[in-house]
Amino acid sequence: MPLVSTRRLHKFFGRNHVLRGIKLDVEESEVIAIVGRSGSGKSTLLRTLNGLENIDDGTIEVDGTVLQVDHDDPGALRALRQKVGMVFQQFNLFPHLSTGQNVTLAPRVVKRTPREEAEDIARRMLERVGLGEKFDAFPDQLSGGQQQRVAIARALAMSPKVLLCDEITSALDPELVNEVLSVVRQLADEGMTLIMVTHEMRFAREVSDRLVFMHEGRIHESGSPQEMFSNPTTPEFASFIGSLN
Amino acid sequence: MPSCRQTFDPRAALVRPACAAGRRARFVVMAYQFDFTFVPDYAGMLAQGVVYTLGLTVVGGTLGILIGIGGALSRTWDTRPFGELFRYYVELFRNTPFLVQLFLIFFGLPSLGIKLAGWQAAILAMVLNLGAYSTEIIRAGLQATPRGQIEAADSLALTRWQIFLHVMLRPALRKVWPALSSQVVITMLGSSVCSQIAAEELTFVANFIQSRNFRAFETYFLTTALYFALALLVRQAMHLVGRYLIVRRPSP
Ligand SMILES: Nc1ncnc2c1ncn2[C@@H]1O[C@H](COP(=O)(O)OP(=O)(O)OP(=O)(O)O)[C@@H](O)[C@H]1O
Ligand SMILES: [Mg+2]
Repeated sequence: MPLVSTRRLHKFFGRNHVLRGIKLDVEESEVIAIVGRSGSGKSTLLRTLNGLENIDDGTIEVDGTVLQVDHDDPGALRALRQKVGMVFQQFNLFPHLSTGQNVTLAPRVVKRTPREEAEDIARRMLERVGLGEKFDAFPDQLSGGQQQRVAIARALAMSPKVLLCDEITSALDPELVNEVLSVVRQLADEGMTLIMVTHEMRFAREVSDRLVFMHEGRIHESGSPQEMFSNPTTPEFASFIGSLN
Repeated sequence: MPSCRQTFDPRAALVRPACAAGRRARFVVMAYQFDFTFVPDYAGMLAQGVVYTLGLTVVGGTLGILIGIGGALSRTWDTRPFGELFRYYVELFRNTPFLVQLFLIFFGLPSLGIKLAGWQAAILAMVLNLGAYSTEIIRAGLQATPRGQIEAADSLALTRWQIFLHVMLRPALRKVWPALSSQVVITMLGSSVCSQIAAEELTFVANFIQSRNFRAFETYFLTTALYFALALLVRQAMHLVGRYLIVRRPSP
């Protein structure tokens, strides 16, 4: 049974039909890279997967937790969110909290993990992203790349089943991109289930098990990245990769 | 009858007293002779007035800001029915004079069977007035929370209440603390009208002293200086509270 599974997913912004029936299955430990042109609905798809956006039709199921249309049950929504971590383009760290507090906040208040234990987890997660010594630093004392790695640690501290990453290197200076990508690569190697939207085509090709090309609110083409890049089957994807270089 | 002005000769005035009008003229021309000899007699009263005013300010400030936090929360999330209630409350208190609010509480409420002592009415009016202003001030701070931070907290499965408490409140207060401090000072200065309902704060004491010694200038000059010092003190205190409660960082 897939870990993440969506059926007939539809989403409107006003009269703008942004998601037009998405069917997506993601197995445990699978790494999915979602690519596509600006406005094709990549972010929207990702955001529906943890309920940041309502859906207008269809279902989302993550590890047995089902999210229906107009999910007005905040309990089910939070149950789902505990299984789905998310990392954002703009890091979105809490500026008034230290790195350690950023990472311990959710375990402590959501899972009621005792302080010491939560701090233990936080230290381990910060080690994992190579920032073990930054536990007491504040976000404004860190570089963009370091902030993004803290954001990854913060998501990991809730032990999510799947991690969503929406263009997490797009706001970074070029020389900081690699430190973040190598953390993602390492997570993939460790067997973390990842669904990432990215413009880093080379990275998507190297790391992902499956490439998903979105076009006008649909999954237009998907498959193994090697296969797709060498043999695009739709003219839209062909023109998309053509426009990259 | 010869007019005073025509006969007035400054040199002559040195030798013999001028007529009454001339003497008054000389008082305007010459430097006013301050007479603060009454101060020791009334020092105790003045001190009590200062403490009273400070007390009104501390209680009014603390409770007012707490109401403001609750009001801002209800308004921001439109928590029914509180969001709506706070809206009317804020509009009512921000668009009417403080003195009238005070009179309404002190003279009006007894008609409903609620009879308050002067000090109780004064505190209630201060709290309600400051509560209304801080609701609006803090709400502005909460609304300045970047969307991304709320989404990050959402994605970490925090509840709305947890997001408010752990993510929004401290940065919001930090942002509006200077405005809030000013409002507390403004409210403290406004508390001088509580003298009108015989609450024995600083202005009440000043009026009393002035009615005894008729040295209006000295009395209100001193009162002005005391209010000025109080305002500086309250500002400084708010600054320190802000530093320790809001901007606090654990030692690195
Ligand atoms: N909050 C919103 N309100 C209204 N329309 C929105 C909103 N968010 C996205 N849209 C619209 O939905 C469509 C898909 O947007 P989405 O952000 O999912 O695209 P994307 O594939 O992530 O693009 P990009 O590569 O630029 O990030 C766009 O037409 C966009 O204008
Ligand atoms: Mg996007």
